[in-house]
Amino acid sequence: MQQTSSETKYLTEFYHLPEFKGLEGYKKNGGYVDLEKALKMQPQQIIDEVKTSGLRGRGGAGFSTGMKWGFLPKNDEPRYLLCNADEGEPGTFKDRMMMEKAPHQLIEGMIISGYAINSKKSYIYVRGEYDESINTLATAIQEAYKAGYLGKNILGSGFDHDMDIYRGAGAYICGEETGMISSLEGLKGQPKLKPPFPAVQGYLRKPTIVNNVETLAVVKYVIRDGAAAYKKYGTEKSTGTKLFSLSGNVTKPGNYEVPLGYPLKDMVYTLGGGFKPGRKLKAVIPGGSSAPVMTAEEAMKATLDYECLAQMGTMLGSGAIIVIDDNQCMVECLANLMHFYHHESCGQCTPCREGTGWLDKIVHSILAGKGRMQDIELLIKVADNMKGKTICALSDAAALPVLSFVTKFREEFEYFVREGKSKVKGVAYVAHNSH
Amino acid sequence: MSPTTLIKCTINGVELEVAQGKTIIQAMTENAQRIAHYCWHPGLSIAGVCRLCMVEIEGNPRVQIACNTMVTDGMKINNTSAKVKDAVKWGLDFHLINHPLDCPVCDQAGECGLQDQYMEYGKYDPEMAEPKQRKRKVVDLGPTVVLDSERCILCSRCVRFTNEVSKTNELGIFSRGDHSEIGTHDGKPLDNKYSLNTVDICPVGALTSKDFRFKQRVWYLKDADTICNGCSTGCNVKVYFNKEGVFRVKPRFNEEVNGYWMCDEGRDTYKVVNKEVRLLKGQKFANGQWLPEMHAGTAVKDAYQSLMKAAASEIAVVLTGQHTVEEYEAILSNFQNTFKTKNIFHWVNNPEIFEEFDGLLLRGDKNPNTKGLLQILEKNGIKNPWKNLEDGLKSGKITHLVVFGPENIPVFPDLTAKVNLFTTAKNLIYFTAVNIQQLRDYSGNNTVTKIPLKTYVEKEGTFINFKGLAQKFKRATTLVSEALTGVEAAQLIAGHEIKVVGHPDNSLLTPASTRKDQVTLEHRKKNEFLFTRGRL
Amino acid sequence: MSVVTKNNDNKWYLPGILIGLGITFKHLIKNLFNKKQMLTLNYPEEKYEYSSRFKGNHILTVKKDGAIRCTACMLCATNCPADCIKIIASEHPDAQVEKFPIAYEIDMLRCVFCGYCEEACPVDAIRLGPEWQTPGLNGSNFIYDINHLAYRPALKGGIQSVLDDQDRHKAGI
Repeated sequence: MQQTSSETKYLTEFYHLPEFKGLEGYKKNGGYVDLEKALKMQPQQIIDEVKTSGLRGRGGAGFSTGMKWGFLPKNDEPRYLLCNADEGEPGTFKDRMMMEKAPHQLIEGMIISGYAINSKKSYIYVRGEYDESINTLATAIQEAYKAGYLGKNILGSGFDHDMDIYRGAGAYICGEETGMISSLEGLKGQPKLKPPFPAVQGYLRKPTIVNNVETLAVVKYVIRDGAAAYKKYGTEKSTGTKLFSLSGNVTKPGNYEVPLGYPLKDMVYTLGGGFKPGRKLKAVIPGGSSAPVMTAEEAMKATLDYECLAQMGTMLGSGAIIVIDDNQCMVECLANLMHFYHHESCGQCTPCREGTGWLDKIVHSILAGKGRMQDIELLIKVADNMKGKTICALSDAAALPVLSFVTKFREEFEYFVREGKSKVKGVAYVAHNSH
Repeated sequence: MSPTTLIKCTINGVELEVAQGKTIIQAMTENAQRIAHYCWHPGLSIAGVCRLCMVEIEGNPRVQIACNTMVTDGMKINNTSAKVKDAVKWGLDFHLINHPLDCPVCDQAGECGLQDQYMEYGKYDPEMAEPKQRKRKVVDLGPTVVLDSERCILCSRCVRFTNEVSKTNELGIFSRGDHSEIGTHDGKPLDNKYSLNTVDICPVGALTSKDFRFKQRVWYLKDADTICNGCSTGCNVKVYFNKEGVFRVKPRFNEEVNGYWMCDEGRDTYKVVNKEVRLLKGQKFANGQWLPEMHAGTAVKDAYQSLMKAAASEIAVVLTGQHTVEEYEAILSNFQNTFKTKNIFHWVNNPEIFEEFDGLLLRGDKNPNTKGLLQILEKNGIKNPWKNLEDGLKSGKITHLVVFGPENIPVFPDLTAKVNLFTTAKNLIYFTAVNIQQLRDYSGNNTVTKIPLKTYVEKEGTFINFKGLAQKFKRATTLVSEALTGVEAAQLIAGHEIKVVGHPDNSLLTPASTRKDQVTLEHRKKNEFLFTRGRL
Repeated sequence: MSVVTKNNDNKWYLPGILIGLGITFKHLIKNLFNKKQMLTLNYPEEKYEYSSRFKGNHILTVKKDGAIRCTACMLCATNCPADCIKIIASEHPDAQVEKFPIAYEIDMLRCVFCGYCEEACPVDAIRLGPEWQTPGLNGSNFIYDINHLAYRPALKGGIQSVLDDQDRHKAGI
């Protein structure tokens, strides 16, 4: 395991070049070379290569990409490749940068992936608010069509592939793969019951693979360098590099690419530049708002890889590190999160539909100074019973922060209930209308 | 995978064999195991949203939903453990935190899924201290259905019904999270021929029928199984009644006939059986005026005297497809034996739409037993074209006319014309369940006797539906005690005493299709207090 | 029913009569000189004061705006052991109220004043009031309709229910 205290520019090697956005600049820096290489390989070879590389989905769940591709039925049914660019997880902004700085990188990765799973059609489902990303991608796709990287008979290989952009309408739940498929089908963006899994029956009831922007972009590099070279980065089980979106009370927030297994401490203090004078670390949410929070002590020991964080009871998620310093009130932070999940629950499954609203109301009543002591226990009970009881993971995403916030920072909640004001800020808040 | 492949599984310690490809909830309901559920309905697709049908499967640490999990060989399923009970309790709590609990006002109270499950799994002190979500109340969805969004638990059964069964797609769920509401697209009304099924499948009081709304509390009603007399499909139905009359009709599952559904038209058939529209007494019109009302039996006897004087060729009988096979048999045998007449005619109400079918249940032939009548006429070798009757009446060959009139008169558009035709006979004996306007207002030179008949809820018998399926049904209730059944009428008019006919085999009539897991009205009737206290 | 038979040996009635008369005279004298302790009163000029919690004739309570509180849930009628309550429900123009009785009749001659209706009522719409002297000329006078039950003069414009729809909705119940 290599340990450096600086960034590892692997995916983001040429991101500083403005021309990398266009086709010419991209080709100058090694673009579309790997597509040619890939088209000469057998699709199964590519899948095997990805499988051996140990690449895991960068969207949040961290499921092995090669294995996911292997779930596709072995027949000639039409199948679809969907790129999940509906980056809605609070704290995450890496996909946006990738799409805006290097759209061709994603397109090339998608064509290779499409070739590997024998899909003739792919969609990029972009978050509706990402105007800039959509424009950049649209231009890039047009360029790719003109240059013959997309369309019929790509580079004379006989492989056809079409690509389209689909603009989301601003729902967090459409970042969930089946929710995204529903939205793409023109239905209300609601997750679908599993089984059947998308790899068997997805978009238009055909086998469908949904991958994150970063995952698909990485495929290009796995082909370029080979699985063995890729595996050199990161840890044994969490291979490769990953983009982390660092935000919160650090002085230098932003996207940082580091190999997996990188210490969280370095991320906060070295890359992130530490805190404003006089402040110190209080908590870290390591993987987007859905991940359970870590206390400062835990964060100092943690490394950024799937296993270590899972062991510590949290998760790497989408790699959005939210740093909270000692000037923040945890009750307020949780109220903020709960408001988000209450607003974004699709309303399909009862525990999530009612539970997110309930949690939101309880936390806001504590925040307004009207909390009861039993509310703290009730928060835990409600969250406990939402966990794992629904079709998709949104209820887990809402429940896990509650459980971790309340258990790890209980005295702050108790103080708020007892005194009717924040322990940190010394004031209570008038709960804003939660809808 | 052949559908007959049986696999073994254990549910709550009972070893069972179920067909491969069944979900756990199917296996459980088919084997009389109770399981809580709202969104799952055997006639609809799986939504998996209420999260109440939790089961524990051995080897799986998490509780699973039974509606979307297939039974596999050797599976050990349990839904009585503390873990499952707790999961269901919390599932119920989530359903109830924003539910308005206006049971006193709600029409569903007494047959509400939330009440049933609360009594079984709940009985806890609610912990929700925050204000509830407010939504729209008393929303007019269409000509038949009223919506209360607050009571709605968003199980999406009604939405799936309009998508999958009626295929009219009127309903949808709008907004998201706990603001979600059922609504119609673009404000178009929920208006289709099957709309009231949404009310039946609604597990709570969110959708209520405009027709039944606030008429009765359900615990004042008894139910009985019968066959709908609205059309030749012969849907299996339940009628709900008390001593004040029949109040509603609901479908009963029969895979061969109607599945889980029935049409809105069939639900209106109860309106012609209630006392307000019925003929209660026999009455005779003679010498230019209506004589005082008399007992139905007296009226028939009187009619018998008048018929005895007539020659066989002067007597004619008109039948519709609205009576039971047993009645036709009694009428035919009595008229053929006593009066030696073969002038028996079939009154077809709407020949132009007779063969119509809307693809689901509704048929153009609006008589429940046309097939039965035709079979019996054929058996007796009777085939008289309607024209013969018209000619006979015109020429005066037929002077004595006995009509067994229809009871479901809304489906007889030619009623006025036909009754006017009948009254040209010198002596009209009109058996009818409904007090019809045309006869009430009659004034002329002929003799008219009207005699009350019983309706389909008041008698037992057999209907043969369009595809030849004979369906027996039992008497549900008695609304007009003096009225005669067709069998009694036929015996009396032939001068016989009424013979008590032995009851048909009851085993055919016990419903085989009630979902065993559900708290049925039967269950509730066992509550002694309700039983003695209800107005039954 | 069991019949009590008495031993008929003692055929002397006079001592018993005299003892009885003695008691009567004792009370007569006592009452003549000590009127305050007299157990009877001169009804109807004098009336006995019952407890304010006495369960007498029914009252239908009203809401703040004077409308009837009853939601026509029929629980009182269901619970009534004498089967003396008859309600006809109807749709209320206000969606928040939704259901209300257009007819509410209690047959006072059948009523056994058990108070079950009061207990069954989920919205404090029916109470048994302290009123008990309610003579009538014929049977029909004893079938109390909705107007009499809620707005009879003795109630001075109606008894207000402690539970109000508006308050309930504001509290989010």
